[in-house]
Amino acid sequence: MKKTEYIKLIDTTRCTACRGCQVACKQWNEMPASRTRNFGSYQNPPDLQWNTWTLIRFQEYADKNGDFKWLFRKDGCMHCTEAACIKVCPSGALYHTDYGTVALNRSACIGCKACVSACPFDIPRYNQATDKIYKCDLCYTRLHEGQKPACVLSCPTGAITIGEKKAMIEAAYNRVDKLDGKATVYGDKFVGGTHVMYILSENPAAYDKLPSNPKVPASVILWKNLFKPFTLIGMGAVAGMAALHYLIKGPHEVHEKKEGGEHDV
Amino acid sequence: MSDTVRDMVRVTDPIERISHWLLAGSCLFCLFTGLGFMFRTWGFIPSLLGGLYALKWMHIFSGVVFGFALVHAYTMWRKDCAFEPDDAQWIKQGGGYLWKTSSLPPVYKYNAGQKLFFWFVVVFGVLIVLTGLVMWNPLAFPVAVARWSYALHALSALVIGSFFVVHLYLGTIGNPGTFQAMTTGWCSRAWCETHCPRWLADHYKKPE
Repeated sequence: MKKTEYIKLIDTTRCTACRGCQVACKQWNEMPASRTRNFGSYQNPPDLQWNTWTLIRFQEYADKNGDFKWLFRKDGCMHCTEAACIKVCPSGALYHTDYGTVALNRSACIGCKACVSACPFDIPRYNQATDKIYKCDLCYTRLHEGQKPACVLSCPTGAITIGEKKAMIEAAYNRVDKLDGKATVYGDKFVGGTHVMYILSENPAAYDKLPSNPKVPASVILWKNLFKPFTLIGMGAVAGMAALHYLIKGPHEVHEKKEGGEHDV
Repeated sequence: MSDTVRDMVRVTDPIERISHWLLAGSCLFCLFTGLGFMFRTWGFIPSLLGGLYALKWMHIFSGVVFGFALVHAYTMWRKDCAFEPDDAQWIKQGGGYLWKTSSLPPVYKYNAGQKLFFWFVVVFGVLIVLTGLVMWNPLAFPVAVARWSYALHALSALVIGSFFVVHLYLGTIGNPGTFQAMTTGWCSRAWCETHCPRWLADHYKKPE
């Protein structure tokens, strides 16, 4: 039975970049830390990793008027409804849960890495040591037990909330109405709607590594919606034509070449 | 001459046959295992071969064999399969396979249809091997290259798979007496006169 669809809403206007969610995520999912180097930013680790499923991105940004702003964005799986990763996964390791989220059955993953390039948000990460893929599953086991995801629970400012889909979309638009003109809702207008949404204080284009119009890549659609069925249709049609040829025209028999040289085919 | 015995003519040498079967065997195995990745519901394919993870490595290994076999087959047959002016006429007449037609231009070793098949396998074979290498380690390439590799790999499989069925039919029941060219290597003189008359005239004299 289809359960309630959930949406996790990330209000960047309330985020103080304390990174509590990053730590809570690692704790709940028992992911170790990797040693990193300071590259002149509080952003640490520098990017999502197989063992870092959510990351606060710190971005120094100056708008058109030259006003400086520090943008914080909690990056991680967006849990798409039209999920390119699920579309390309050959093993079914990536799947939609009853909550509409995208979970990963790691024991089924064969480490083919097809999901890594298919994802419009560049989320899945590969671990060479285990030959498997890792990413946020929106704390599927916690949702299953009626608990909030670890990141939501840890957030001290209430920037991360979770709830039923319809109510959360409504809450997002209500919140944006109260904010100044630039603030936008991000997530409900593409890839069938994501199950993680943002309230962005700036235009989406202002954010690093955030596509303004994410979609399932054209190459994935060609591959899975056209070439895949036509592999069977093509081979089947050719086999059918060969059978018809055999029945109608018959095999191409060998004939002795007659003297005088008329060649019968 | 040792290459003709009574009414039989040796049309392929052992190297050609080994190369052909290496290419065909690895190609078919790749096609079979590849369908196991493409159709999640065809669970019988991975279960026959020890699961999807084992299938991944078998597919990669077989693909590497296919790549080497393809290079060998290309260097071996490219001259025999170079197009000549008469080939256009052969194609126009459908090779005599599809409708009643006047006599065809006499073929040298391979007819235009066989040559077309060869070049399709070379072009899409190179494409499927190169894209396969990208898919083996997609993280080492720009994302656009990785993305399009998957699509082109599937397209190449579609083309090679469909042409394989044609090849199978024409090489067996569609042309009786042909299959042994790739087993024993010996075909009848009459077969040669039908399928490769100019090559026969060039290489073998009629028995006394």
